[in-house]
Amino acid sequence: MTTGVPLTPTALASAAMPEAPPPALPDRDVERFVELSVALTGFDAFDLHGTGMARFYLRTVLDQIGDQPYHDFETALEQAGLDPEKLQGEVAQDLARAIAHLWYLGVWPPLSATVHAELRRQVANTGFTASPEAYVQGLVWSAFHGHPQGAKAPGFGTWAAPPPGAPELPPPGRHRRQAGDGR
Amino acid sequence: MTRAREVDGHRYDVIVVGAGMAGTLVAKRLGDQGWRVLVLEAGTKTLNTWPGHLDAMNTFYSSLIKVPNAPYRANTAAPSPSVLDTLPAKDGHGYRSVGYLVQDGPLPYGTDYLRADGGTGMHWLGLTPRMLPQDFKVRTEFGYGRDWPIGYDDLQHYYCEAEREIGVAGDTAEQAEAIGLPFPEGYVFPMHEIPSSYLDRVLARELDGKSVLDRYTQQQVELQVVNTPHGRNSTPNQAYDGGRGFRPESAAGLPNYGERCVGNSSCTPICPVQAKYNPLKTQERWNRKVTLVDRAVVSRVLVADNGRITGVEYQAYDDPGTPVATTHTVEADIVVVAAHAIETARLLLASEVANSSDQVGRNLMDHPVMLTWGLMPGQIGPFRGPGSTSGFEKFRMGDSRKKHAPWRLVIANWGWTWAAGSPGSDVADLLGIPDSPFKPRGKAVYGNQLRERLGDRIGRQVAFQFELEQDAQPGNRVTIDPRYRDALGNCRPILNYDLSDHVKKGMRAALDVSHQIFQLLGADERTAYPSDAPSYFQYDGAGYTFQGAGHGCGTHVMGDHRHNSVVDQWQRSWDHANLYLVGCGSMPSIGTSNPSLTMAALALRSVEKIHHDLMDLHRPLVLRPTPVPGYAQPREA
Ligand SMILES: Cc1cc2nc3c(=O)[nH]c(=O)nc-3n(C[C@H](O)[C@H](O)[C@H](O)COP(=O)(O)OP(=O)(O)OC[C@H]3O[C@@H](n4cnc5c(N)ncnc54)[C@H](O)[C@@H]3O)c2cc1C
Repeated sequence: MTTGVPLTPTALASAAMPEAPPPALPDRDVERFVELSVALTGFDAFDLHGTGMARFYLRTVLDQIGDQPYHDFETALEQAGLDPEKLQGEVAQDLARAIAHLWYLGVWPPLSATVHAELRRQVANTGFTASPEAYVQGLVWSAFHGHPQGAKAPGFGTWAAPPPGAPELPPPGRHRRQAGDGR
Repeated sequence: MTRAREVDGHRYDVIVVGAGMAGTLVAKRLGDQGWRVLVLEAGTKTLNTWPGHLDAMNTFYSSLIKVPNAPYRANTAAPSPSVLDTLPAKDGHGYRSVGYLVQDGPLPYGTDYLRADGGTGMHWLGLTPRMLPQDFKVRTEFGYGRDWPIGYDDLQHYYCEAEREIGVAGDTAEQAEAIGLPFPEGYVFPMHEIPSSYLDRVLARELDGKSVLDRYTQQQVELQVVNTPHGRNSTPNQAYDGGRGFRPESAAGLPNYGERCVGNSSCTPICPVQAKYNPLKTQERWNRKVTLVDRAVVSRVLVADNGRITGVEYQAYDDPGTPVATTHTVEADIVVVAAHAIETARLLLASEVANSSDQVGRNLMDHPVMLTWGLMPGQIGPFRGPGSTSGFEKFRMGDSRKKHAPWRLVIANWGWTWAAGSPGSDVADLLGIPDSPFKPRGKAVYGNQLRERLGDRIGRQVAFQFELEQDAQPGNRVTIDPRYRDALGNCRPILNYDLSDHVKKGMRAALDVSHQIFQLLGADERTAYPSDAPSYFQYDGAGYTFQGAGHGCGTHVMGDHRHNSVVDQWQRSWDHANLYLVGCGSMPSIGTSNPSLTMAALALRSVEKIHHDLMDLHRPLVLRPTPVPGYAQPREA
């Protein structure tokens, strides 16, 4: 009996390990991803690397859309002069949205139904939090000088302090009247 | 650890059904008094170790929609409702309910509870305002709802006790001055108040001393920002307990941790450091007289021919994912059901006990929450600190209650998170991502512009929660029907829920007040009530939506007559002298206070009666007295 396929050691190895981890992404790919992400998010490379998420997010993107569509997206954004608003075509535009969304919230969003179909994706078109840490590292919180709810707690009483540029204010009520500056 | 099947056939002094806030407190006090207590808990005990807590944290981080039950694992043996179960109706009018609760009433009961060790108190927000003296006699004073058979003075001592057990932070002097609450001479809360948020301070600067018009009474109501008492660790007050001070409770499973709030801003659904009170902290202080058994779903309260309760039947299971249960019984002199207002009613109806008044399951109340929101002119630092630190309190009291329902005007510290799903919705909006992959995408902004616009928009978000008093209505009720069962075959709760005109009129008045406040603030009001939302209704020419507060009450109502109430003033069943129903379900009216502190006070009051009942049954017995705190002898602060 023959299967028609030669049973080489490599084929056997991958058959035994269908979930084998993909090869590590080269640093230069991660660097490139971060450069594009700077244009998408408005955070600089230092901040983006500082989240510790860059490599994992690139992996997430590749898992979601595949290598070739991602490389096409890279090229498209370069050709648009790293200005995402100049991206042409529904696919590139939707991928820009999704990658920015991933950085800001740690959540991969559903793509537009047409883009999902066009990419012939092998995965369901559903949104998901990329990992627990991805939520914590979302950029949105620092965009308004906050902290992720449930993490990076700033300390007792810090919620009474003014946000940048706003004046200090006394507590309402009794203390304020006692302090003699009430109206 | 005792497993559920091991207690089969045993006999205890007391069985407590449910290890939530009410059951845990009852077990604590009875154990301290030397009674053998068995606590049967339907859910799992995974949360009371530190690894279990961390697992819940990760589940919370990973969840896409961070609703109150998001951190806690689903359990098919003891299912819980979720706020995600209430969906818009398919035809765009009204709602449909897809989860554990069966709902067929005019409006949705759009809120949840948690069936796990610790109960709903794991994800409560932790606000602990007392009820006002006038809240106990709304029928007599204002002509709606039901009066209590007892009053504020009867609860004074137990309020103080509950504030000790929960560990309340607040300012008694301000509560007395701004709200008129009576306290014992010299009494202070165990801890100093939780500092008011920056938003509270901005609102006080802009609004304190100004007033708004109540359209129905034509009276001006004065605005004043008042700090709210919290069940949350703050700075201990040295003057507490006659100068003995207070030691805050640490996290369950991690000693010396969580003794002060550090501003995680996620009290609901989960406090990462457990600075917020949760019942597991009390369980750590249970003595060895108390046995907790989890994965034990009580399916029936057992009654003898003479009307005495003999014990309970329960179902023991191992795997909450694929429940296979075995049925057991256990006996006790006294049974305390503390399974949450809706579950207690469900269990009583399924057991066909305690219902000669036909009031079991009726009078279901919540605090319907009307949200309003807008953008302030400048940055106010949202999403910082506990969910709310202050409110406007004057709308809770006075003769306007004769015209419409009163409310607590709660200042929300977390931007539009409840009102509009911020900050996720803001990101999606600016990126042009609609709520469905089939809808056309909008134009996106990127880079610095995205970052700056998000910062500007989210940083100015303000929201108010108008939490209205709901009056007891017999038609708002929990029933059961053998056609609707859960995986273990227990009847699921069927809810019929609606708002009275008294409440709707309150919303009308509140919306008016909200408009005036936004105007005084120079804010850009963004409140919108879409007509396809599940809770949408129209009243007096305007449309409204509302949320549930999770404050289920009234379903085993307390009264002074066995004909029209389920329990007496001790939360003891009129029909069965050794059955106590402990929880918010006993409350005949709920004022505008979040109910758990009052519930805890009532529970501690019931313990005294239970203790006396047991003494009568068991004498002679050597007892260890509980120390009486010396509130009456304060030291000068
Ligand atoms: C989102 C949210 C926020 C809230 N915030 C506040 C707040 O800030 N302030 C406030 O005062 N209140 C608040 N509440 C309300 C508060 O959580 C409840 O009033 C309180 O938890 C009720 O306590 P309980 O012990 O009666 O019920 P629960 O806490 O629900 O406990 C009942 C227990 O009984 C168990 N049980 C149920 N059925 C069975 C059975 N058949 N057999 C055995 N065990 C069973 C359950 O598993 C559970 O452990 C909030 C509620 C929600 C939902």
